[in-house]
Amino acid sequence: MASSDNHYGGDSESDDDNFNPAPADVSDDEGDNASKNQQTSSPAPDDDQRYSRPAGGAASKRPIQLTRDDEDDEENEEEEEEDEDGGGQQNLDDDEEEEDDEDEDDVQGGHRRKRRRDRRAAFFDIEAEVDDEDEGEDDEKEGEEIEDFIDHDDHPDDIAESGRLNDDRRHRELDRRREMEASLDAEKQAEILRERYGKRAPARGLNDSAVVPRRLLLPSVEDPSIWAVRCKEGKEREVVFSIMRRVEERLGTKNEVPIISAFERGGTNSVMKGYIYVEAQRQNDIMIALDGVLNVYPRTKMILVEIKDMPDLLRVIKTPNLEPGAWVRLRKPAKHAGDLAQVIDVTENGLEARVRFIPRLDYGVRDEPLLSADGKRKRPGMPGPRPPQRLFSEAEARKRHPRNVHGNPQTNTWNYMGEEFENGFQVKDIKIQQLDVKDVNPTLEEVTKFASGAEDGTENLDLKALAASLKDGVASIAYLPGDVIEVYEGEQRGVIGKVTNVQGEIVTLQVTEGELRGQSIEVPNKGLRKRFRPGDHVKVIGASKYRDEVGMVVKIHNDQVTLLTDQTNNEITVFSKDLREAADIGGQGSLGQYSLLDLVQLDPTTVGCIVKVDRESMVVLDQNGDTRQVVPSQITNRLPKRRGAVAADRNGSEIRLDDVVREYGGQQRQGKIIHIHRSFVFLHSHEYNENAGVFVTRASSVNTIAAKGGRINSQSGGPDLTSMNPALKRNPAGQNAQAPRTFGPDRSIGKTVTVRRGGYKGLLGIVKDATDSHCRVELHTKAKIITVPKADLAFKDQITGKPVDMNSGRGGFGGRGRGGFSGGSAEWSGGNRTPMATGGGERTPAWGSKSSTARTPAWSRDSGVSGSRTPAWGDGSRTVNPYDGSRTSYGGATSYGGGSRTPAWSSSAKTPAHDGFGHGSKTPAYGGGDAWGSKTPAYGVSAPTPGASGNDAWGYTPGASGGSHPYDAPTPGAGLGAPTPAALSAPTPGAYSAPTPAAVSAPTPGAWQGGWGADAAPTPAVGAPTPGASGGYYGAPTPAAYGGPETPAPSGARYADDD
Amino acid sequence: MFFLHNLERRVTLHPSYFGRNMHDLVTTKLVKDVEGTCSGDYYIIAIMDTFDLSEGRILPGSGLAEFTVRYRAVVWRPFKGEVVDAIVYTVNSHGFFAQAGPLRLFVSSHLIPDEIKYDANATPPQFTNNADMVIEPGTHVRCRIIGLRTEVGEMWAIGSINGDFLGCLQA
Repeated sequence: MASSDNHYGGDSESDDDNFNPAPADVSDDEGDNASKNQQTSSPAPDDDQRYSRPAGGAASKRPIQLTRDDEDDEENEEEEEEDEDGGGQQNLDDDEEEEDDEDEDDVQGGHRRKRRRDRRAAFFDIEAEVDDEDEGEDDEKEGEEIEDFIDHDDHPDDIAESGRLNDDRRHRELDRRREMEASLDAEKQAEILRERYGKRAPARGLNDSAVVPRRLLLPSVEDPSIWAVRCKEGKEREVVFSIMRRVEERLGTKNEVPIISAFERGGTNSVMKGYIYVEAQRQNDIMIALDGVLNVYPRTKMILVEIKDMPDLLRVIKTPNLEPGAWVRLRKPAKHAGDLAQVIDVTENGLEARVRFIPRLDYGVRDEPLLSADGKRKRPGMPGPRPPQRLFSEAEARKRHPRNVHGNPQTNTWNYMGEEFENGFQVKDIKIQQLDVKDVNPTLEEVTKFASGAEDGTENLDLKALAASLKDGVASIAYLPGDVIEVYEGEQRGVIGKVTNVQGEIVTLQVTEGELRGQSIEVPNKGLRKRFRPGDHVKVIGASKYRDEVGMVVKIHNDQVTLLTDQTNNEITVFSKDLREAADIGGQGSLGQYSLLDLVQLDPTTVGCIVKVDRESMVVLDQNGDTRQVVPSQITNRLPKRRGAVAADRNGSEIRLDDVVREYGGQQRQGKIIHIHRSFVFLHSHEYNENAGVFVTRASSVNTIAAKGGRINSQSGGPDLTSMNPALKRNPAGQNAQAPRTFGPDRSIGKTVTVRRGGYKGLLGIVKDATDSHCRVELHTKAKIITVPKADLAFKDQITGKPVDMNSGRGGFGGRGRGGFSGGSAEWSGGNRTPMATGGGERTPAWGSKSSTARTPAWSRDSGVSGSRTPAWGDGSRTVNPYDGSRTSYGGATSYGGGSRTPAWSSSAKTPAHDGFGHGSKTPAYGGGDAWGSKTPAYGVSAPTPGASGNDAWGYTPGASGGSHPYDAPTPGAGLGAPTPAALSAPTPGAYSAPTPAAVSAPTPGAWQGGWGADAAPTPAVGAPTPGASGGYYGAPTPAAYGGPETPAPSGARYADDD
Repeated sequence: MFFLHNLERRVTLHPSYFGRNMHDLVTTKLVKDVEGTCSGDYYIIAIMDTFDLSEGRILPGSGLAEFTVRYRAVVWRPFKGEVVDAIVYTVNSHGFFAQAGPLRLFVSSHLIPDEIKYDANATPPQFTNNADMVIEPGTHVRCRIIGLRTEVGEMWAIGSINGDFLGCLQA
């Protein structure tokens, strides 16, 4: 009481007047009470001794009763009356009578009471009456402690009575007060209350501990010591409880427990677990106190806690409290060690938690091997490979243990082998000690497994709980300078800035947005998260399975970020903590030396293209279109990209890397060639998602859509000069030359042909109709008309069946034809640039006349006539020969190129050839070639030399060749280089034209040399050489188109030879 | 956004082109080489003119002549936040791909208004709000570029049609 008075004293006095006085009034009244008590207690002077005379009739009984009554007013009165009745009329004085009256009062109503009161009022003054009231209240409120008041109250009966009388008034007053309170509004009330009680706390504080410096409260040597006593781990609390029971039991007996306190600081992760702490004066006291208590071992060594450590024992550590929904990791069932689990519930005592996790069941598959060979049962729980995490399947369980499965399919709860399963998850009560509560760091993947387990299939991912679990591991998140972060917790919440410095747990950031912009603030890294914006280019770091993926952010929801990966165009969702801003150019995924889209050798017969790279393995699309997962060690080697790789598409056109092709048939997928391997091409397209857009097909089943750089199947690697060569453009002759060939009906109509390629290859037919490039051919075998490119037709003599040239008889054109050649080459979509295809015009006259005379050497060779070689022309006409004057084939060539062609042509085409032969000057070359049949390059080389030819028929003399060498050099192999010199050397326009052809033609000869060889024609070398260069420019390519022996190239060669 | 940009390039010319109209040829070659390419940050749409053509210099060893050409070109540089019109060419459940001129765009389903849903049963599959918006290959859409990725010779953007006045363009 005293203490409470102190608390409320003083300041409260003034405040309380209007309101329910509560304890405060008590204090106010105390003094008065005392005095009043003295007044009122005069009839019972011995009240102080009431305890000492227990046997004292009603009077003595009363106090005890009243003490009880204080708790319950009504009861009080009833009992009083009973007592009195029971006790008979022992009290004879007025007061007693009044008591009786009171009884009546109760029965009869209020008016009597009033009367009584009035009568009694004579003895009291008004003031006292008020006090009385208060006193009554006191009695009610204070309880037994205030026994002296009570005493006073009872003893003089009138006072007790007054209490009763006051009761009514008090109720009324209370009602009034309540009414008043109700009329005030809540705010005012609150203010009043605050006014009234608000000041008290500090006041009490002053009187209390605040005055005493804390250090003085620390234990000293005079204080009892604390010992740590070993106990069974996890039973700390039980032990303390049993000590407490023991204390209670022995309280007041002779052998009271002599200790002062006992406590424990056990807990899952506490370092103080396994001990209880007992405070006692002597160690022996502890022995006595703990003797016979279970689970505690006072006889083992007790540890005396040093005084300076004592406060630490009581320091409050905020324990991570487990809440349902939180994530934990299991430690104990060894099989599940490390597995993620979700807390469903925590038991009352906080010792166990009910968790659910994904079971690792083998459904008895591995039961048998438990019996080892010698028949002994192996130790169960042997660490074997643990089964994978899978949701419980009733069907599986029933397979082997039909009897051990019980449950309810409706609720999907099962009991299998003594374990409980709900919705596929295993549910188990696990001691909290066996759970890892901190640093759980659940990955999104793990969590998703739980989420998808909802029976209705909906996501029930509790992100809050997840986030909470993740917060624990927040320390592991590293913020690096430059990261853009957002504060989402605490005072600075909402602040966005860029990290400038990180020191331990404190992150300094430069605010970039909002009012604080430009300021630098420090925040703990607890409430931070990285901030991204849609469109940011980010890379996944951290422990996510998507690590190292690079992509663009498409969606952000709290700290979940969805991004679209660069490599596969898949969407993945990760936590923002696992992301970093990526360099602008996404790093290609690579694993060791292998990176995405590389071509690798899997085994001697299989290659594949890497379509996905994971952390430790990769996925490879092999040449058969199958994907397989491999680890780097399974790969034999990486095949370097062959820039020069060439394949032929379905049409025989050349395809190279980076060309865009489309599948013929199938899905008609279109893609860019990324690898060519043998007959397989690996294509890549952005339009397909599977296999990173890579697919594989056969080269022979694709069509070219666009060749890189506009290359249209040129068969040479050199630049395509025909389209842009200014020389040609400026030379209208070339263009004009082509014009005539379109005159008249197509000559091919009505001709007998065979199809040379495609599905109808080999079939004979008659051309019914023709366009510039295609013929409609009526087949002999089938009553069917098909459309075939002209290039795919071989024209035959209707009667003899001998191959004929469609353009035969056109020899007259020769001169111009040549010119046409160069210009016309583009005509052939097939890539053969020979003008031949286009018409007969370009043919050498020699051709035209099959007979013999007019033939180019090549022809002549075919026909077996040697005399009619073209080279001849070359000679005759040339004036320009830098060497001897008229001889050089170069000269001839030049004439081609130049406007001077006609003479050349005329000469070559016709007579000159003969002349040439006649002279014998050229023949040798040819003759030599033919006769010998030896095409050795050497031969070729020497042959062309103008010198040689010029000097004598057999121009092979070393000297000759030597002299000519500069010219000879341009053998096909020489390609570009060779012709140039020629060009240089020959000042004539011919020179000009010469080089170009070289570029173009040079490669070609190579290509078809074989064909030539077959023909036993002059050595390819021969054909190719210089003449090729000069003549080749115009002439050489043509043959390729025809593929035939008649190719001008050879003829060109001839020219060279001749000279 | 389109810009008129002054650029410079070295053009090499084969000796066979040497002659009177060499400068024309150089220009022609330049146009052929450069127009329609992506330089990483921008696309060169068209060459307006060349205003400075250096003298040719023969490269030792190859005989080619090298000219330094300075020219003016219209370039298009897409920016983050820019609104472009594009034509849809592929639709799948994750979103759709569209082409804004040379620029390929992906619009993720997250960046499509919620009421526009993917309908896999339509032929071809489409995004639709079952009213006026139907996004299928060939549809013209207006979208905002929210992210750009540049690679050598290629650009690639992520777009959004989540916003006022974005989405299908009614023809």
